[in-house]
Amino acid sequence: MASRYDRAITVFSPDGHLFQVEYAQEAVKKGSTAVGIRGTDIVVLGVEKKSVAKLQDERTVRKICALDDHVCMAFAVILFCNVLPTFIGLTADARVVINRSRVECQSYKLTVEDPVTVEYITRFIATLKQKYTQSNGRRPFGISALIVGFDDDGIPRLYQTDPSGTYHAWKANAIGRSAKTVREFLEKNYTEDAIANDSEAIKLAIRALLEVVQSGGKNIELAIIRRNQPLKMFSAKEIELQVTEIEKEKEEAEKKKSKKTT
Amino acid sequence: MAATFFGEVVKAPCRAGTEDQEEEEEGRRETAEDREVRRQLARKREVRLFRRQTKTSLDVSLLEKYPCSKFIIAIGNNAVAFLSSFVMNSGVWEEVGCAKLWNEWCRTTDTTHLSPAEAFCVFYHLKSSPSVLLCQCSCYVAEDQQYQWLEKVFGSCARKNMQVTLLTCRHVTDYKTSESISSLHSPFLKALKTQNFKEPPCCSLLEQPNIVHDLPAAVLSYCQVWKIPAVLYLCYTDVMKLDLITVEAFKPILSSRSLKGLVKNIPQSTEILKKLMTTNEIQSNIYT
Repeated sequence: MASRYDRAITVFSPDGHLFQVEYAQEAVKKGSTAVGIRGTDIVVLGVEKKSVAKLQDERTVRKICALDDHVCMAFAVILFCNVLPTFIGLTADARVVINRSRVECQSYKLTVEDPVTVEYITRFIATLKQKYTQSNGRRPFGISALIVGFDDDGIPRLYQTDPSGTYHAWKANAIGRSAKTVREFLEKNYTEDAIANDSEAIKLAIRALLEVVQSGGKNIELAIIRRNQPLKMFSAKEIELQVTEIEKEKEEAEKKKSKKTT
Repeated sequence: MAATFFGEVVKAPCRAGTEDQEEEEEGRRETAEDREVRRQLARKREVRLFRRQTKTSLDVSLLEKYPCSKFIIAIGNNAVAFLSSFVMNSGVWEEVGCAKLWNEWCRTTDTTHLSPAEAFCVFYHLKSSPSVLLCQCSCYVAEDQQYQWLEKVFGSCARKNMQVTLLTCRHVTDYKTSESISSLHSPFLKALKTQNFKEPPCCSLLEQPNIVHDLPAAVLSYCQVWKIPAVLYLCYTDVMKLDLITVEAFKPILSSRSLKGLVKNIPQSTEILKKLMTTNEIQSNIYT
């Protein structure tokens, strides 16, 4: 049945599916994992770095960049300094959406003389994606985005969009390959204690990624935004430090557990 | 006549037979050239079994030359990686043969060092216990070649006292269920067994209307016909390329009777698996 209704984006199947949109969601699962966490005074975005081919310039494969000073996305791009988005899925589609979002951020600032809010730019990206699910001859964008940032009111925000053009606010979420495993980990471990302070929130993000990232800390990229502070990218050394701390804590917890049982 | 969605008008095939049939048949008569082309194609698509070290081909079926009590077959790169890390490193395995074949989707390679990125089909037996046979098959065996493969490997007579275990992967979107796909926790394992397989499988059985495809289906059908106890462990995953989590989904099989005695060092196997992943990561730039 699916084969007759999945070729053209503008066609609903008899049971109400838009197969191209669902297939686009499968494309997202082929991208690497990204995790976003909303803490009390911090937002954290972690992405799995793919290993770069030998002859490839690593700079051009970086995942986290800016849309503006306040907005960051994972395939993280800095939009504005308080908003950090990341896109996972088809790289080329991500680039196109990032460019449009950057233009929109500047245009908004020129018109309204205020930087975009996280929700505004999320809505813009989601609307753009939705347009491509309702146009003749165009396919949907094969990307999901995690958008984190702070608004002027100082409240941290995390939004997720998907190829269908929907967007929702989250406390913590993951997209990309093995997102389900990471989300289950977050559901278990996202507690008030876990995000009580900034370093705990950062550790939670790294622990969530370590569940699915092969070969540990050197394949993780991390960015954070603290309230009223600019975006901070973690260097490989800083991430390694965090990973070592996490492993130490894990060992201690296991020792305590074995003591209790004996 | 019928109209398609895009408005083209196509001629619907008629089963009743028309007056034109005679004329069509004349046009279809084979020439010597057609026969020659057909012969060459058949030769190209032949499945050949031979020993790589001596480069001699096997004149009898593999199981006739190397009778076994346990035959473990891994089909697909994730299943192959699982056997490589967990079973093949726990003993000394000697190569007893390899299958060479060509089809539009793959061509088996000739190199001696086989990486998970290449297509190959190699048979090994355990040196310490030659009645255990293992097959690592990471090439696609086309429909017309499956019968040949079975003939060359199993032969055409019943094998007594043998148990076959198959491992393979399939994309989770092929899994038909009344639940919603998003509630499935992939990767997950499903089993399908022949009537003579009496052991309880290590996971739940594959429900209808799901079916098995390609070479695993051919082997299972053969085993069912010849009353050989056989079980297929099918891993439904959303990552078809070599992936750590998919390979680890096969772990419950390690407790089955056919694999229990063969696996010794599990932590070391996990390390070997991780190394296999990192050295063979074919990075595509399409997906970020």
